Amino acid sequence: MDTSIHVKGLEKSYGDVHAVRGIDFDVAPGEVFGLLGPNGAGKTTTVEILEGLRPRTSGDVKVLGQDPGVNVRTLKDRIGVCLQSTNLPAKITVREALAMFSAFYSRHADIDKLIDRLQLGEKRGAFYQTLSGGQKQRVALALALVNDPQLVFLDEPTTGLDPQVRLEIHSLIGELRDAKRTILITTHYIEEAERLCDRVAIVDQGKIIAIGTPREIQAQTLGTSRVEIHTVEPMPAEAPNFECAEKSVMSEDRRVLIVYSAKPARTLPGVVKWIDQNGLDLEDIHLKRPTLEDVFIELTGKRLRD
Amino acid sequence: MGAYISQIRINLRLTIRDRTVLFFNFLFPMIFFFIFGFMMHAEQGGAIVQIVNMVLTLGILGSGFFGAGMRSVMDRESNILRRFKVAPITAGPILVSQMVVGLLLYIPVVILVLALAHFVYGMPPLEHPGSLTAFVLIGVLAFRAMGGIIGAVANSMQESQIIIQILYFPMLFLGGATFPIAIMPNWLQIVAQFIPSTYLSTGITAILEGHETIWDNLMPAGALIVTSIVGTFLALKLFRWDKDDKLQPSAKFWVLAVLAPFVAMGVYQAYAKDNVAKGKVLAREMRRNQTHLIRDARLFLGDGNVIEQGSVLVKNGRIEEIYTGSAPDAKTLKAEAIDAAGKTLMPGLIDVHVHLGSPGGFFTNANDFEPPVKAFPRELAAYLYSGVTAVKSAGDPLDEVLKARAVIASGEKLGSELFAVGPLFTTPGGHGTEYSKNMPEAARASFDAQFLRLPKTADEAKKMVDELAARHVDGIKTILEAGVPGYSFVRMDPALIKSIVEEAHAKDLPVVCHTGNAKDVEDAVNAGVDGIEHGSMDDAIPEALFAQMKQAGITYDPTLSVVEAFSLIAQGKNDGLDRTLVQQVGPKKLLDSTKAFLQGAAGQKMREGIAKYPVSMAISGQNLMAAMRAGVTLVTGTDSGNPTLIHGPALHRELQLWAEAGVPSAVALQAATFNGAQLLRASNRIGLIRKGFEANLLLVDGNPLKDIAATERISLVMFKGERVDRGDLFDQQ
Repeated sequence: MDTSIHVKGLEKSYGDVHAVRGIDFDVAPGEVFGLLGPNGAGKTTTVEILEGLRPRTSGDVKVLGQDPGVNVRTLKDRIGVCLQSTNLPAKITVREALAMFSAFYSRHADIDKLIDRLQLGEKRGAFYQTLSGGQKQRVALALALVNDPQLVFLDEPTTGLDPQVRLEIHSLIGELRDAKRTILITTHYIEEAERLCDRVAIVDQGKIIAIGTPREIQAQTLGTSRVEIHTVEPMPAEAPNFECAEKSVMSEDRRVLIVYSAKPARTLPGVVKWIDQNGLDLEDIHLKRPTLEDVFIELTGKRLRD
Repeated sequence: MGAYISQIRINLRLTIRDRTVLFFNFLFPMIFFFIFGFMMHAEQGGAIVQIVNMVLTLGILGSGFFGAGMRSVMDRESNILRRFKVAPITAGPILVSQMVVGLLLYIPVVILVLALAHFVYGMPPLEHPGSLTAFVLIGVLAFRAMGGIIGAVANSMQESQIIIQILYFPMLFLGGATFPIAIMPNWLQIVAQFIPSTYLSTGITAILEGHETIWDNLMPAGALIVTSIVGTFLALKLFRWDKDDKLQPSAKFWVLAVLAPFVAMGVYQAYAKDNVAKGKVLAREMRRNQTHLIRDARLFLGDGNVIEQGSVLVKNGRIEEIYTGSAPDAKTLKAEAIDAAGKTLMPGLIDVHVHLGSPGGFFTNANDFEPPVKAFPRELAAYLYSGVTAVKSAGDPLDEVLKARAVIASGEKLGSELFAVGPLFTTPGGHGTEYSKNMPEAARASFDAQFLRLPKTADEAKKMVDELAARHVDGIKTILEAGVPGYSFVRMDPALIKSIVEEAHAKDLPVVCHTGNAKDVEDAVNAGVDGIEHGSMDDAIPEALFAQMKQAGITYDPTLSVVEAFSLIAQGKNDGLDRTLVQQVGPKKLLDSTKAFLQGAAGQKMREGIAKYPVSMAISGQNLMAAMRAGVTLVTGTDSGNPTLIHGPALHRELQLWAEAGVPSAVALQAATFNGAQLLRASNRIGLIRKGFEANLLLVDGNPLKDIAATERISLVMFKGERVDRGDLFDQQ
């Protein structure tokens, strides 16, 4: 089996609404693949089709060699899924929840080891309702692993969690990656995709608008860096053309200047010099490498998050 | 299979951990149980079945609508079901495990409620515990299936709450769980037959009362099972994991599919009404189970003995205990106290000679004449109203009178216990045949088939007796009278009467004989009858003949009431219609039209007819006294149904006429109680205040032993242990 997931020409319509409009991608075994896009881009619909939860309108789909529209039960038995927003009964303990779901599958991971691995050992006997948000998300992750699956779907695994918890979850996903599991992750957090994914597909309005490793995607675009300068006093209204700079943008109060440049190392001395010449005090200076966010903005003309 | 077992185990654990479930499942029913037990005096026996039924039904409704219905919507709305969606299972284990857990949790409720009912409130041990358990568990299944389907079709919590309230409240209040269906108006009782909980609560009540098993409730159990199956199947079909998967609003019609078996049952019951009748019977049974202590009364026991101060404990429809002297504490006996100081308690009166087929008066408008199906029960209610707890129909259309007997015996309607002979044995042209003489041929044939038997030979007579015995008549009535010149009848051959008596005795049926004069009495006595009706109204019966009657144990019923009634009509008086109890039992229309009739031309014609047929109060009275002196067993009959003898209270007048003839009150009262029961072959259960006898009792103000008219001052009538609400007797539907 060459690919864990094969998607070709996938389309999904609800009446007149076209949620997915022709998506192609492949995920290789052991790969962490990210679907990045804003809410409503069609990520969840795509994933749910792959998980066998929704029928597709057209296209070719193979997950672990199975057509999810046909062999749903077999497929569900072999994959692990961590859903975007789920819940468990208030008074079920962590161990009970894992044991309950484990009973549905033909393969079983060692539940107690799983609990320890997800750092839930102390909460083994605690009721679900007493867990923190991060602990609940770790339980959700554990539930996706009770059948020791080769392929794991993580649908927005860190949405709504605070940064500290998000980091915890990221390191857990990192462990999964190290264990050579195939992972399909959907997210609208750029840094999550950049940090966790081997390859990323950027999805917007039901289509993939860019695909590749994070670095490849950055390279596909112009790849400009931003030099951002803050001064105490207003700067002169007209900034000169700095070396290698593509354009400059001044804020209204003339205290912030953003200079776009493909070679910021060359541009920067000229900018500092110009400030000095004008007798201004430099308050702050940033150099920002281009991110997937910038790529996204460049490709779609809008931000990922509102 | 693993998924099913794991789901059942985890669901059971989760449910037990849920305090609201424990509250609603156990604590809530217990609170109801004790509050209603306290308020309705469950320890007195009359309410305990109703309370147990209420608590069990409430539990089942709660388990179904809230436990299954609301819960499944909540699980979906709070995204719990979503998680299951991605696992390789179907809805089967989830629905089945909830059903099983619902059943398992309900069993302790049943045991707890039954144990408390028994140990706290003295409910007798169940006769059919297996039936009750099976039936309530079928109920749990059916109502959980209904809940499940509501959960399946509701798109939000609000929707599910609306649907649940729409179904829950009618089921709670109209289905007999909170109060008996029998107290609702008739049309509402029919409406109730469309409601599933009606079948649940009537079934539970019937099994609790010990009459029925689950096999007697196959139809309701079947409907509940069909609902369970259809509901579970649809719940599986319509199952949704995700709150975002909405169903069409029209999917709510699936709820109706689950209720369909009961729509069918309702339509059937609107026609057959047997479950309506059953509801009435069950409600009656509950009232009869109430414990009463009638205390500090003078007790006339029926056999001539009197206890000047005593009390009677009535329990489960029977006389449980008789106390002499100061009354025991009612509370200790768990009885409702009825104070009776200064009053006299006696066995319910027995009228051994009535004809339900005629109303006792005349309707000027033929449309006012009620068909027997209505008139007979009403007349029997009038007897009960008047403290007459048993009557013998001495000749009435067979089918109708047996129907009336059954409707009273079952408890569906409240009225005096009816004993019936069915048709009269007479001869062509004999007394009895004159009533149909002027009818059209076809009408006469059907009337005579119901009302008359005209045997020509001994064999024919025996065959007729056998046929009636097969219909379970309570006795045989024969006619032996030649009438008088100008009003003559063909007289039956006494030898035929002898054949009738022999066959009737072979079938254990008592035979009474209508007689006109001393000769008739003599021939009837020689034919071996068990009772003489009327005796002679126009000549003296020889002392030797009475001695012979005493010897043979033949009863004598002088029916002075009808003698007086005819005398008064002949004199143009209608005093009989103005008596207070007569006015009370009415119906007013009958009383008014009878008066009008008697005052009009028809009345004049009638008076002329009666004048030809001389009856003498004096001779009748003298015969009665002679019978008494001879030691003949006397019984009281009134021949009510004859003109101005309105059904119900005539026996009180009969007693007064006996007193006027010179019979001591105690003798007359014994004739009207114990002796009557003997003639009815029922003296092992009615006619006496005795331990173990049916609690048919009459409580009157004052002392009828001193003033016989006191029997009319009725304070209370008790029938089979039920304190009769006399005011409600005529409102029965």
